[in-house]
Parts: sequence; C-alpha cells; structure tokens
Amino acid sequence: MDTLGLLASILYQFGTNAAFLLLAAIGLVVILGMMNIINLAHGELMMMGAYIATIVTHRGIPFPLAVLLAFLLVAMFGAALERVIIRRFYGHELGALVVTWGISLIMGQGTLLFFGPFMPSIGIPGGSFSLGAYSFATYWIVLIGVSAILIAALWWIYQNTRFGLMARATMQKAAMAEALGVNTDRVYMLTFALGSGLAGACGALLAPTVSISPLMGQQFVAPAFITVVVGGAANVLLGAIGSSLLLSAVKTPVGLLFGAFIGTVALLLTALIIIRLMPNGVSFYLQRFTERRVGA
Amino acid sequence: MRLLHLVNGGEDLGRSRWFWIGFAAVILALVALPLYQTEFEASNASYYLLNIPLALGLSMLWGYCGILSFGQVAYFGIAGYAYGVIAGNLTETSWGPLVGSVGGLLLCAAVGAIFGYFVFFGRVQGWIVPILTLVFTLLLETFLGQTAGYQWRIGAVQLGGYNGMTGIPPFQIGNFIFQGYAFYFFALSLTVAVYFISRILMNAHFGKIMIAIREDVLRTETLGYDVRFYQLGVFVLAAMLAGLSGLLYVQWGNYITPSQVGLLPAALPVIWVAVGGRNRLLAVAIATYLLNWINYTLSEAGNQYAPVIMGALLLLVMLFFPRGIIVAIAELRWPWRRDVTPVSVQDRSA
Amino acid sequence: MKMQPAISTVNLTKRFGGVIATDGVDLSVSSGEIRCIIGPNGAGKSTLFALLCGIHAPDGGEILLGGRDVTRLPAFRRVRLGLGLTFQTNRAYHNLTIAQNLEIARRRNSARVDSDALRRYQHAIGLFELDQLTDLPARALPHHQLQWLEIAMVLAGGPDVILLDEPTAGMSPEETMQTASVLRTLNGMGLTIVVVEHDIAFVREIAHRVTVLHEGRIFAEGSVAEITAHEDVRNIYLGRA
Ligand SMILES: Nc1ncnc2c1ncn2[C@@H]1O[C@H](COP(=O)(O)OP(=O)(O)OP(=O)(O)O)[C@@H](O)[C@H]1O
Ligand SMILES: [Mg+2]
Repeated sequence: MDTLGLLASILYQFGTNAAFLLLAAIGLVVILGMMNIINLAHGELMMMGAYIATIVTHRGIPFPLAVLLAFLLVAMFGAALERVIIRRFYGHELGALVVTWGISLIMGQGTLLFFGPFMPSIGIPGGSFSLGAYSFATYWIVLIGVSAILIAALWWIYQNTRFGLMARATMQKAAMAEALGVNTDRVYMLTFALGSGLAGACGALLAPTVSISPLMGQQFVAPAFITVVVGGAANVLLGAIGSSLLLSAVKTPVGLLFGAFIGTVALLLTALIIIRLMPNGVSFYLQRFTERRVGA
Repeated sequence: MRLLHLVNGGEDLGRSRWFWIGFAAVILALVALPLYQTEFEASNASYYLLNIPLALGLSMLWGYCGILSFGQVAYFGIAGYAYGVIAGNLTETSWGPLVGSVGGLLLCAAVGAIFGYFVFFGRVQGWIVPILTLVFTLLLETFLGQTAGYQWRIGAVQLGGYNGMTGIPPFQIGNFIFQGYAFYFFALSLTVAVYFISRILMNAHFGKIMIAIREDVLRTETLGYDVRFYQLGVFVLAAMLAGLSGLLYVQWGNYITPSQVGLLPAALPVIWVAVGGRNRLLAVAIATYLLNWINYTLSEAGNQYAPVIMGALLLLVMLFFPRGIIVAIAELRWPWRRDVTPVSVQDRSA
Repeated sequence: MKMQPAISTVNLTKRFGGVIATDGVDLSVSSGEIRCIIGPNGAGKSTLFALLCGIHAPDGGEILLGGRDVTRLPAFRRVRLGLGLTFQTNRAYHNLTIAQNLEIARRRNSARVDSDALRRYQHAIGLFELDQLTDLPARALPHHQLQWLEIAMVLAGGPDVILLDEPTAGMSPEETMQTASVLRTLNGMGLTIVVVEHDIAFVREIAHRVTVLHEGRIFAEGSVAEITAHEDVRNIYLGRA
C-alpha cells in the first residue's frame, strides 16, 4: 500500500512540477513561436491575471468564471499593447526584448503603487485526499489536467481552425502569407492577445497556490523562460511539452532532496547544458524525430 | 601616436578640436569639484560615477557587439560580495582591500567565462543570451536572499540574507584609506581610464570585429573569425567592468544587499545605455551619470514613482529615440557645425 | 602528373527534415580551375556551398580542402585554410562603409595573405573600382558593385579557392561580362573558382568545366560544349525530367 502511495506521490510531484512549468510558459510560448518575440512582460501579465481573479473572487464571483474573466481582460490588454507598442518592433528581436522589459517594469512598479505590497490571496479550492501516508491536493490534480487540455486545445486550434491556418502561414513566411491575402497584421494582434490572455488565465489558475504581490511575476520568470529556452523555437508547442516534462524530471528529484532553490538552480544548469548540446532546443529533435517517423 | 589615432577614431562621439576642448573642460570641472561642493555632494557624485564602468561594459556588449544582457548587476553583486568576504577576512593587513579587489574581478571573469562558454559555444540564438542572463541574476538574488542563517558565515564575514553584508572595508593602499574626496578622485580616475580604454578598444580592430558580429554573425565567421571567441571575450570584459562598478560600490557604501542584484537594479543599466545611445560610449557615460543623479534626486525627495518613471523613459526612448537621446542631441545640426559627413554608421538592428 | 584537387567531396549528403538537399555528391575541382555549377531552383546548389564552407554539418560524406579532411571543422577554420564564400543574397555589411567592410575582411596576422593573395586582392579592388569609394556606406553602392564588394572582401582573406553563389544575379549583361573578365583575370593569377550561375552566357565565358546538379545529385559533368549539347540537361531546366 505504502509503496503505491510513494509512487503516486512521486508521480504527483512530477506532474505538479511539469504542470507549473507548462502553465508558467504557455503564453510566452505562443507569442515566441508565432511572432518570434520574447515577451518579458509575461510575468507581469500573469500577475495581472492573478490580481483580476483574486479581486473578483473576493467579490464572490465563482473561481472558474474569474479565470475566464482574467483571460478576457488580459487578452484585451495584450491586444492594446500590441497595437500601440509591440508592433513597432517586429523583426527587431533585441528591441522587442527591451521594450517589453520596460513594460514589465512599469506594470510591476505601477501595481505596487496602486495596490500596495500585498493582497490577501484566495484559498486553494477543493480539498485534499490521502493515499497511505501521502496527501494530494485536488486542485493540483485539476491543474495537471487543465494544462494537458490547454496544450491539446492549442494544438487543435493551430491544426483545425482558420486562425490556426493563417497563423501557421504567417509564422512560416509572413511576406508570402500577406501576398496570399492573409491579414498578417491581424494575425499578429490576435496572437499577442491570445498569448497574453493565456498568461492571464494561467496567472489566475496559479493565484490560489502562490502569494499575491505586485512583483509576483518575477517568480514565474525563471521557470517560464527556462522552459522556453530548453524547448527551443523549432516547434514551440512540442518544445514546451518536451521541456516541461524533461525539466520536471530534473526538478522533482533534486527539489525533493535539496529543496526548491537548488531545484531551480538545477533547472538553469540543465538549460545551459541543453543549449550546449542541442542549441536548437529539444523541439528541434522532437520535430526531426516525428518527421522521420512520418517520412518513413 | 597610433594610440592617439585610436582615441580619436570614428566609433564614438566627438572628434573635433572643439569637442576635445569641451571634454577637457568637463573633466576639469569634475576634478575641481571639491572646490565648489561639499564632501557629501562629492560622495553622491562618486556614486553616479561608479556606475559608469558597468554601463560602458554593457554598451560594448550590446551596442557594439549586439549581445544583450540583463544580468550585468549579477557581476556587480558577485564582485561586491567577493570583495566583502575577502577584505572582511583580511582586516589585519593593509593589503586586504587590494586582494579583495583583484579577487572580485577574477571571480567575475571566471563566472562570466563559464557562463559565456556555454552560451556562445553553443551558438544559441540571439534572444537566449538575455533570457539566461536574466534568469542567472534572479537565481543569484534568491540565493543571496536565503543566506541569513549563521551557517552562511565565511570566516569572519556574515553574508546576511536580505539584511545584506555590512561593515565592508573601504579601499586602501598602504595606510592610505580612500574615503570622502579621496574616494571621489579614485572613482573619477578609474572611470575616466575605463572610458579611454573602452574607446580605444572600440576604435581598434577588436571594435571593428565587434561591429561586424553585430551586423552579421555568419558573414563574420565566414571571413575567418572565430566569432564565439570574440563574443566570449567581450562578455568577460563586460562582466569585469560590471565587477569593477560593484567593487567601487561596496568600497563607497560599505554594504551590499541582495536587492542590488534584483530585477529593478538589473533594469537600470539597460535604461542608461538605451537612453544615452547604446553604440556611443560617451553618450552612455553621460546618460549614466545624469540618470543616476535624477534617480537619486527623485527617490531622495520621497518620490515613489522613480521606477515607473525610469520604465516609462525606457519605453519612450525605444519608441522615439531608438538610437538614444544623447546621441540624438549630439547629432542635431548645430548651427556652428560645418561637417555634413554622415555621422559614422548606424545600427538599425536594435 | 595528376594534380591534387583544390576542393573535393566524397558521397556528401544533407537532409532537411524529409528533403534530401544534397544526395551523395562526389565533386572534385582541380587547382586553378573555374568550375560552374548549374541546376534548376532547389537543386541543392546553395546547400552544397553551405556544406563546403561549414555552415551546415553534413549528414554523411567527406569534404577535402587541398587534400585535407575538413568535414568536421567549423567554418572559420576552413576559411583560414584558404576557402572563401559569397552568399546568394549579398551579405556585405550594408550599414558599414566600404573601408570598414574591407578592413574587417582583412584579418590581422593572417599567414594566408602572402604576396600572391595580396596581389589578387589589390588587383580586384582596382578592377572593381572600389578603391576610390572608401567612406561611402555599402548600402549606397549600386547593386553590381555591392556584389563586387563582397567578392573583394572574400579575396582580402587570401583564399586559394572561392565559392561564389550567383554573383551576377541582377546584373546587366555588361556588368556580367565585366565580372566574368575580372574572375578570369584572378583565375589567371592562380585562384580556383567555383561559381553557381544560371546565366549561360556567363558560364560559356568563364567555365572550364560545368557540373549540373539536380535534386541534390550530380546529374552531369563536362565541358561547356558537352553540357549545352546534353539533351537531358535542357529537359531538367525546362522541368521535363
Ligand atoms: N535551412 C533549410 N531548411 C530546410 N530546407 C532547406 C534549407 N535550405 C535549403 N533547403 C531545401 O533544400 C533544397 C535545396 O535548396 P538550395 O537552396 O540548396 O537550392 P538551390 O539550388 O541553391 O536553389 P536556388 O537556385 O533557388 O538558389 C530545397 O528544397 C530547399 O527548400
Ligand atoms: Mg541557391
């Protein structure tokens, strides 16, 4: 019984870590993969989602609705950002980095000024159950499922919807897509909105599990960016799945044995080693592997 | 003679006789500062000055070589803490601070070299370097923040967690301790020296290759240059200059906390460099001095908006003066300016 | 006496995902030769150059430069061993001045730049009319001179073999012939030249031998006369094979 419990507990830890990495990175991944822009304000967009969800939940709105609201509001904010600022930096990789960094600074410090340093957080919905000597939070099990569903949904959107088709065309050859009548301008705006919205929703989803503060976005920066770096840009969705699983496989044992901080350091070291061994990230190899399979 | 020629090369602002006269006048005014300012004001000026090496390093890295780093403050912190530990353990001797300074710089070089080896020899895409430098900085802050316990004592020195490390010895050569005006002159002369060395370096062949790498990595490699080696070189150089600023900082304030390595301080150098004009060293130096002064004056007045203002400044500059405000001012058609030669080469890549 | 080839490949292969861009290529260019490589779009010409120069790593096969195996060497090492390359899309530093472009291209302390190489370089600068234009930004040059600038930059490194990827694309017939004449002169000064070209008039003008690439493979090889008489070569160009 207890070995079963231990196994379940390890699996649960692994799943929790992978889900956290995936949720922290997913909005970033969408924007990077489609627009080749690194959004350094990503953590602050998650913070914004968490604030929205927390505030409206305190007002008595059911949590799932709060998450949806966070998605919509942050997506709208993202669309506005794209219109006013981001669009001027397409093709300027480093310029986009710097400008989104400026946005993150303003958002973080601005929130600090408006809302003060703390906000009471919402409790974790759902209870917990135990298996042998090990206990499991229902909410985290739900989050693991949600992150799997999110990835599947994104995959489906890109493969099966008109937006997905246009987005993939734009991603591969913007000029060509434009010539074929795709409104690339709109695709970019929608993509940025989608990425921002996802960041907001994930921030909302994670809000009950972390403390809410203006600079909370920072805690997502390391995991999110490492996930993206390890994933690489060849196929971002595939990369995000591959790298969150891989990184979780590193972080779970190291974190259990040496604590959370060393776990995160292990993530950075893994990232350094991965880029030395496979500079294009794991997605490049996953992509090649699947292509070989299809080709054979 | 050849050195003079390099000083006056085209990769920085100002080559005319009038420029150099003005430059000399400003240096003279800075040297004479003790004549018209109090020791307290001179101490503040030291603080504005001591950030300049870090900014010049970032300028060479980002503006000249096209490698963006958000993590220069990490090296600032590494050198500061290393100095604190070494000099703090060698208080019995007069050469402790000297050993601490050298040790801090060497540690920066070593960490920068290891980090740079992985990043540049992996030939990663451009966006990965800034991200990893940022992550590195965040982890360093987290690490330093959890060193409050008694087990984080190195010899006689307590790392101190978020309370920071206190009582760091000032710089000292023989029995002479650099404090007050003396420290001001120390910081000033180091800053000016670093500026001239950087300017010579960027005008020399090394600088040309930096620019070539920024413009087109593949073309530069297929002209026979080991691009990775040059990237590593400038990265280590920038790390050491950030370290130099960190050394001066702890020698000036005698304390350091992990928040020096936090996200907000990490953003500031990028702002100084962008506002000045990232591929013009002098513009960066001026912007660093002025923005530090403004930032200090704002926060001194209890203005909590200072970080937001700095962020907004960065946004505005990136949107409207992508080549930098100081550079834009310098390149205005001043009425007395006769030369209409295109002012060197522009970096459009951002 | 059989001369050692200046550059050669054995069974060179490169895949991009499902596409086989280079498929078992055995190429051998003698020292002092001008070799033209022709083939329809997507034949794998640029990929072959990228492999020769070390920009892509091959999936199989070997590359020999002056008899030395360079298959695993990074690009800059091959350049230092005497290889030069221009790209299909011009990659001179467009934002820098011509003087800066050339100064960067002249590596310091390079043992390669012997008196022969230096003579070729200085000669080319003169023939390309670049010697007067030092302070102009490269992007202000007319197209054909920008192409010439990149060739001159490659020569500055003192190569024995240069690979030119469609150097005359976009040039007028006169400019094309002028380029041909400069290349012939340089060849007469000892330079081995491999050039990808679509313009058959240009090929006739300079090629000693011609290699036809098709779908990543060497389809035919021979003198200009042999190749132009080849029925199948015409067919692949017209998309009939
Ligand atoms: N980096 C790459 N990634 C994926 N496929 C590539 C890459 N480079 C080339 N290819 C593919 O390899 C094949 C050969 O391309 P290559 O550019 O070598 O042809 P080419 O003969 O130079 O054509 P062109 O005359 O148009 O220049 C093409 O099918 C091309 O799509
Ligand atoms: Mg080609």
